[in-house]
Amino acid sequence: MALEINIDGQSVNVELLSKKDNRYQVSIDGKVYDVDLVMVEKGVYSVLYKNKSYNVELVPGREPKTYTIDTLYNSYDVDILDAEAKYLKGRKQDYLEDNLAISSPMPGKVVKILVKIGDKVNAGDTVIIVSAMKMESEYKVKNDRIIKDILVKEGDTIDGNQPLIIIE
Amino acid sequence: MIRKVLVANRGEIAVRVMRTCREMGIISVAVYSDADRTSLHVRYADEAHYIGPSPSNESYLVIDKIIAAAKKSKADAIHPGYGFLSENAAFSERCKKEGIIFIGPSADSISTMGDKISARKTISKAGVPVVPGTKEPLSGEEEAKKVIKKIGLPVMIKASAGGGGKGMRLVKNEKDIVSSYRAARSEAKAAFGNDAVYVEKYIASPHHIEFQILADMHGNTIHLFERECSVQRRHQKVIEETPSPLMTPKVRQEMGKHAVAAAKACGYYGAGTIEFIVDDKLNYYFLEMNTRLQVEHPITERVVGIDLVREQINIANGLKLTYKQKDLSQNGHAIECRIYAEDPDNNFMPSPGVIQHITEPLGFGVRHDGYVYEGFKIPIYYDPLISKLIVWGKTRDEAIARMKRALHSYKITGVKTSIKFLEKIMNCPDFIEGNYNTHFIEKNKSFLEEKDICKGDCKAIAIIAAFIDYHNRIEKAQQNISTGNTSSSWKLSSRKKSMFKI
Repeated sequence: MALEINIDGQSVNVELLSKKDNRYQVSIDGKVYDVDLVMVEKGVYSVLYKNKSYNVELVPGREPKTYTIDTLYNSYDVDILDAEAKYLKGRKQDYLEDNLAISSPMPGKVVKILVKIGDKVNAGDTVIIVSAMKMESEYKVKNDRIIKDILVKEGDTIDGNQPLIIIE
Repeated sequence: MIRKVLVANRGEIAVRVMRTCREMGIISVAVYSDADRTSLHVRYADEAHYIGPSPSNESYLVIDKIIAAAKKSKADAIHPGYGFLSENAAFSERCKKEGIIFIGPSADSISTMGDKISARKTISKAGVPVVPGTKEPLSGEEEAKKVIKKIGLPVMIKASAGGGGKGMRLVKNEKDIVSSYRAARSEAKAAFGNDAVYVEKYIASPHHIEFQILADMHGNTIHLFERECSVQRRHQKVIEETPSPLMTPKVRQEMGKHAVAAAKACGYYGAGTIEFIVDDKLNYYFLEMNTRLQVEHPITERVVGIDLVREQINIANGLKLTYKQKDLSQNGHAIECRIYAEDPDNNFMPSPGVIQHITEPLGFGVRHDGYVYEGFKIPIYYDPLISKLIVWGKTRDEAIARMKRALHSYKITGVKTSIKFLEKIMNCPDFIEGNYNTHFIEKNKSFLEEKDICKGDCKAIAIIAAFIDYHNRIEKAQQNISTGNTSSSWKLSSRKKSMFKI
């Protein structure tokens, strides 16, 4: 099996060369790695490479086939780019070109919406305030925009990265 | 004697209080909001009472609901923890009226110490040093010169009506007094429509050092030494340690005496904390008093060997303190790190969510006060504190090494945490040398924010893990499909027949 994988924005080609029990031979852009890899707990892999012991944690991302991967000090965002993922990604980009959504990176509660549909806002204006864990964050527009749609109301509980306000 | 305690709090502190209750054979009662049904304090308690919707002003902060839960559960005492209603004089008063013991100080002590101006007055009367300055506006340039000479430079001239840094002038040299005074006045006038200004001693490199005190209802007050709390971010404590690397035995003894005097000045009973602001030369001034248990109380417990919650309960029972000042000493060194659900790579943005996986550090000299477990969803409504990691060592160096080891094995996934940031602090030369004040994080910003570059093959290992995980999942999915095909309806019917035979 060979796949394209995107790690922190960089694309690499990964291929499985052989597998025996938990011993894998994998090539990344042509470089061959012999690793002993076992899932020891849900989402946690113990990896032995050149007799060095690594603990790697895989946290599924918000989108399917994406992961956040934590090694001891580093955290990586990884996308598996199989055929389906590539297709969906292409479609999503088309959608995003037409619509820009304001969202919060963390879950929380909508405290205040400062705009109405149809409002013209200037660069730097705050459009929505979200509170999480006793801290309020203001979300601003980066350019002059028109409010196209408001998808939430004040008091709503929201997820991270959920589109809240569509601007144009 | 208290036999049943309602803990009017949530999170790690509720669990911590209940642990001592259990040791003392006291029944514990939890209260919980919608968001906290599965919270550990509810599971740990002997009883739990629902008190309403998730926002704390509709549950944990509603005095009537807490009192109703206490009555219903027939609890004879309420422990308020920290935050929420712990420093609410009306709540202490209400408990008294309802015949429920409030495990904390009297309403009087809370209100005297809760107001900064009345606290300052009470404290100065008791001979405890306060930050030198005038609280009254300066009458003119001549008075300004006179007063500033008396206080000693540097000073800060501040607008009486002010806030937010407007109308403030730092004066370092005598020749700048008059011009700074004028500038502060005109700025204050422009900003607040009021040109009254006063002057206060400026402490250039402030340390935040606090003293733990315990007082019974019979006039006995003792202190349990200091805690150094200068590692702060946005006025929020991040790391605390005891003893303070700055302290000398002489100053400690003096400050301890003043802490006891401060508590006595407001007729205090219970556990409390006197906060001081201290400069590099160990001049110290009263800052405020916290009339409750502090978040960082475990480091004192560890070094002095006294369970502060047990003492609080004994005091509330009207018992005399069993310790005298001369019985107490500091044994070794303790450090606490606060683990917050926040993203250090993204301006410490709060990071609520579901705990996917947690491995807590164990081993000699490590204490872990927390409340989350795998699958628990950290609510968006409350403080982002996940847990506190407390380590002890014979020496400060040993304690730092132990904290590094504990942080290294502390793994939480699903939410972002401050663990990495805390590890950075433990490796920061200024911290290791004990050479820091409240500007520590700002001063060491570049060191603390620098990303560790993995020297080995971390990136390749991450790619391989993701690739194999995906590969194995696909393989498993295909196997499921193929096994699905083999169970034909012929086989199924024959299986059914054999079932009938049985």
